[in-house]
Amino acid sequence: MNIFAKLQNIDRRILYLLVALVIIIPLVRKPARHPRTIFKEVQSAYDTIQAVPNDKLVILSSYFDAGTVAENGPQVEAMMRHLFRKGTKFATVTWDPVGAELVSKIGKQVSGQMHKQYGRDWVDLGYNPGPMYVIVSGMAKDFQKVIKQDKYGTKLADISATKDVKSAKQIGTVIEVTASGTVPVWIAYFNMPNNIPLVYCPTAVMAAEAYPYLDSGQLNGMLNGVIGSAQYETLLGMGNEATYSSAASWALSTAHIFIIVLLIIGNIGYFAANRARGGRRHG
Amino acid sequence: MTFLTMPRHGWQLVAFIMGVLVVGAMALWFLTMVPARHRKNLVAVITFIGGLYYSLEFLIPPAAWHLHPTRNPLTDMRPLVGQIVQIIWSFALFLGIWNLFQLHGRAVGKRGPGWYNSAAFFVAFFGILISGLMKNANNHAADSMFTILFTGFLTSLDATMFSLIAFYIVSAAFRAFRIRSTESVLMMAAAAIIMLALVPVGVVLTNWLPDTGFLSIFRLEKIGYWLLIWPNMAVQRAIAFGVAVGALAMGLRIWLNLERGSYFDRQL
Repeated sequence: MNIFAKLQNIDRRILYLLVALVIIIPLVRKPARHPRTIFKEVQSAYDTIQAVPNDKLVILSSYFDAGTVAENGPQVEAMMRHLFRKGTKFATVTWDPVGAELVSKIGKQVSGQMHKQYGRDWVDLGYNPGPMYVIVSGMAKDFQKVIKQDKYGTKLADISATKDVKSAKQIGTVIEVTASGTVPVWIAYFNMPNNIPLVYCPTAVMAAEAYPYLDSGQLNGMLNGVIGSAQYETLLGMGNEATYSSAASWALSTAHIFIIVLLIIGNIGYFAANRARGGRRHG
Repeated sequence: MTFLTMPRHGWQLVAFIMGVLVVGAMALWFLTMVPARHRKNLVAVITFIGGLYYSLEFLIPPAAWHLHPTRNPLTDMRPLVGQIVQIIWSFALFLGIWNLFQLHGRAVGKRGPGWYNSAAFFVAFFGILISGLMKNANNHAADSMFTILFTGFLTSLDATMFSLIAFYIVSAAFRAFRIRSTESVLMMAAAAIIMLALVPVGVVLTNWLPDTGFLSIFRLEKIGYWLLIWPNMAVQRAIAFGVAVGALAMGLRIWLNLERGSYFDRQL
């Protein structure tokens, strides 16, 4: 086998090992440097949250499980940090049983670090089956009739953060962190009819679908996967802190460069092999 | 209705869960008693009523009802209908568990090849169920066990399964992505630009170009952004439009019981 054929047929085990290395090394080394370039939609997301009046509640809706926690987890964390820092109360609501535990864990961790109190500063509404029907059921008209209690079974009327939340008038913004296609339901039945801003935090692979909604103003901002959360942390003034998001943004950098290098090598081999075949035929 | 839907705690909650299970089991038993030839009709009628409610609620403007004050009387029923759908959704979860029990129970019973994988399912299911229930009763040991099972096993295994895609994508891109035509050149160039534009290192590559002015349009992040908000957005809008029309047609077919083939022609 000549060198060109070899370039096109690198053993897949070597490829797997190299992929693992280019991803693991930045994650272990954890570079503190965050991206300095901020995408327009990430800046809009930050500005939207910043503009929420502190007497209104933010709904932090999550629809993901452990499969995408590497992307959606940092988004939840970045949003919680901003809301806690700003002093805006929020309620987490999750549509996946595994995701409910993950979001709850992140909430406890971040609130502990920032010395915030459950019930006063945030509320965990736990897992609710069927996101579409909860949103369509008239959450905007009578919030406490649709979601009655928090994760621990306490009535929303008895919790300081939610006792005054009767309808959409007391909701400042909805943040949708998701690996699923739930955002059109929020737009159609909750945010647009009640003129409430919506911030979208999808996995990177879903972000391309959101640009029409951003362009039409139906979405007020977006965190594009873990890169979006790394940029959001830059906006939160954490640009020189070693966080998972910053490490992941460098891991993605090395992985993307690696894929492009592989594509170039594979194509060089392909062209060279074609030329060699053509040369032999004519010679 | 308030009596049924108010939050419960302690023994009342347990009694209500048991009550719901009994009522649910009776409802399912009743469904199995319906003669096979009528079962499909029953499903079709329930589907039609469900679809009719949401059609009348969302498609007829409130003014058309000629009520004072102007309102759609069906709107008040939305939370109740939503709760009914949530309960049906929860029963779907229950049916999923029942299905897994049947499948793996048979495999363990027959001791066929790989039966121990099925046995592992039962160990994992009851391990996380019991520790989860006991954790809620403030049992410290159960809390630790739940953390080990949930964070140590479930979360890690789920994330691992999902991350395997990265290895396959790299391998497939390397083997299959060859420049054979003008279209493939365009596709590879767009993919490379987007991949670089979205990550910090891509921005660094063209950092030497000015931030403003004519030359700034050649910065990778700006070319990537242009691709996303112009060609990508046009294509996404076209796809969304097609999907919406298709979903409408599909919804109508299911609502009116016109769908045939696949599961719809099977004996229930």
